[in-house]
Amino acid sequence: MLLGKNSIAIEVDSLVKKYGDLTAVDSISFTINKGEIFSFLGPNGAGKTTTVEVLECLRKPTSGRAYVLSFDISKDQDEIKKRIGVLPQEFNTFDSLTVRENLQYFAGMFGSSVDIDSLIKLVDLEDKRNEQYKKLSGGLKQRLGVAMALVNDPEIVFLDEPTGGLDPKARHEVWNVIRGLKKQGKTIFLTTHYMEEAEVLSDTVTIIHKGKIVAKGTPEELITQYGQRNLLILKNTDKVAVPLIETLGLEASFDSDAGDVKVTLNHNFDMSEIVRALTLKQVAFGELQLKRSSLEDVFLNLTGEMLREGETQ
Amino acid sequence: MNRVLIDLKASLKMFFRSKAAVFWTLAFPSILILLFGAIFGGMDSKYSLYVQDLDQTPSSIGFIKALNLTNAFNLRILEDPAINATEYALDKELSYMVVIPEEFENDLGMANATIKFIYDQSQTSAAVVMGILSSVISEMNLRFASLPDDPQYFVVLQPETIAPKRFSFMDFFLPGMIAMSAMTTSIFSAVEISSRYRETGIFRKLATTPLRRIEWILSRTLYLIFVSFIGMAVILVLGITLFDVKVIPDPLSLILVVTTSMLFSGMGMILSRFVKDPETAGAAANAITFPMMFLSGSFFPLEQMPEFLRSIATVLPLTYVNNGLRDAMIMGEPQRAIMNTVIVAVLGVICLFVGAWITRWEED
Repeated sequence: MLLGKNSIAIEVDSLVKKYGDLTAVDSISFTINKGEIFSFLGPNGAGKTTTVEVLECLRKPTSGRAYVLSFDISKDQDEIKKRIGVLPQEFNTFDSLTVRENLQYFAGMFGSSVDIDSLIKLVDLEDKRNEQYKKLSGGLKQRLGVAMALVNDPEIVFLDEPTGGLDPKARHEVWNVIRGLKKQGKTIFLTTHYMEEAEVLSDTVTIIHKGKIVAKGTPEELITQYGQRNLLILKNTDKVAVPLIETLGLEASFDSDAGDVKVTLNHNFDMSEIVRALTLKQVAFGELQLKRSSLEDVFLNLTGEMLREGETQ
Repeated sequence: MNRVLIDLKASLKMFFRSKAAVFWTLAFPSILILLFGAIFGGMDSKYSLYVQDLDQTPSSIGFIKALNLTNAFNLRILEDPAINATEYALDKELSYMVVIPEEFENDLGMANATIKFIYDQSQTSAAVVMGILSSVISEMNLRFASLPDDPQYFVVLQPETIAPKRFSFMDFFLPGMIAMSAMTTSIFSAVEISSRYRETGIFRKLATTPLRRIEWILSRTLYLIFVSFIGMAVILVLGITLFDVKVIPDPLSLILVVTTSMLFSGMGMILSRFVKDPETAGAAANAITFPMMFLSGSFFPLEQMPEFLRSIATVLPLTYVNNGLRDAMIMGEPQRAIMNTVIVAVLGVICLFVGAWITRWEED
């Protein structure tokens, strides 16, 4: 069914997916605009992968509706599959085919005439084009996986844990590829347990917990709304600074073990007020450390759980 | 169809790059054929021997007792004298049987008695049985000769073949190897690929493409038929060049290899649907193929096996593949091969259909 909403890439309305008595996805609704990087976060068993697989037409929903590029997931699977690219979680492909042969195979499945060499170049695998998949390192395998998700020149790319298990360098390389895809105008549906990844890449973030959506917005909106306030640490500072800072209307405490004064900021410009007050009263203070609230704090606040590698679902 | 060809091409590339797959498909049956060819001299288990006593006299009964005393036979007596022994042997696919003619006792007194031995020359066991029978008759003649009143009793073994040509053990063995090779290639490959693709998530990735399950199964079956043909070619070349096996080029043997691949790849798909872990699935495939190899007459003639094992052989599909291939390629009996081919084809279509029906790329 065509909705005619040209700016919307994915629309999910009251989607439910049950496995027997277990409700994995419990009436969730959200929309994703075309061209944005959308991050889907949630702890183990939250229903992330189930939702993604329903949108990829791999599973049938129990109830509710979802549209991918205005096509109904219950009726238009063929149309949807032609227009999406998928990097599955713990991606694997044919071991003894080369990088180039794997890409040719999947391009052939779509009947796509995509330029394989330009795809290889996009993911920076030119030196490895004739290397068999089994001989690639983890990072190179993931990059091939991203390239394979692009063989049909999809409008939406689903990336399920694209940097899982990668070292920081390889992770940054994959991030660069994802940023490149956004520049090409593609919509990215990203599932990740790396909060930093979601924070630096995403336009919008949705957090799912126990099958229900508990928060959605831009990373900044979520941090502002659900994160803790930023914390200023004054290293090697006398405890007389505490009452002085409190006169500014801020919460402060003295850490006698470390010899530090900790101040919870209402706004970042509170920092200059503190420095001015201490300087006026000639209270010596050491290095200033600002501990910013992050998406990790938001996640912890909302779900009460840490996201750990290998525990995403 | 284009997607089928793409998948087929990729599968073949991967097959030839996997040394283990090539070894087990080609080298393993080759080694077996060489080993069996080199060591097979004779077989010394108990033989099932059908005996038709048309005389029903103390002498004929005495001869049967003498056969029993050799301890080499499980004797089966054909009670109905109206049965034509040659037709019975052909109909029941017996390798040999003994007929004690009417007037055996009378002829014995005239030094003119015969024991008819109807046998299939393609069966090595027939030669062994004939040797034992000759020994029994020689022993009898020696005893007659030493009798005090010199009655001049004498018995002659009168052999009568039921197969027009002379066949060696290798003639028997080669079709069995082709059948075994097609079976193991198809079932193990189907099991291994299905369970590995499921475990590694390749099925999930394929499910996100427009490739349909039925296209994938079609390509997989074509691939297994192709690999089975390679196995067949290697076995034929070895058999013809090293063991002088005379092979009759009959299209039925090709059809049998195709239907065998369908049958066992379907069986592999069914197995891997229920046994999902790759190692367990491999063990399950072994549990099916190993007994079948030895109980369906691939290596040894069924006649050498006890009755209850022969009953089991009649329900094993590989028995019909073995019989069909032997009838078509070696014996030159296309009519008999057609029946076996039809049985294998029907089973093949059923197994492949069920396998395709229940194979899932993703759980829902």
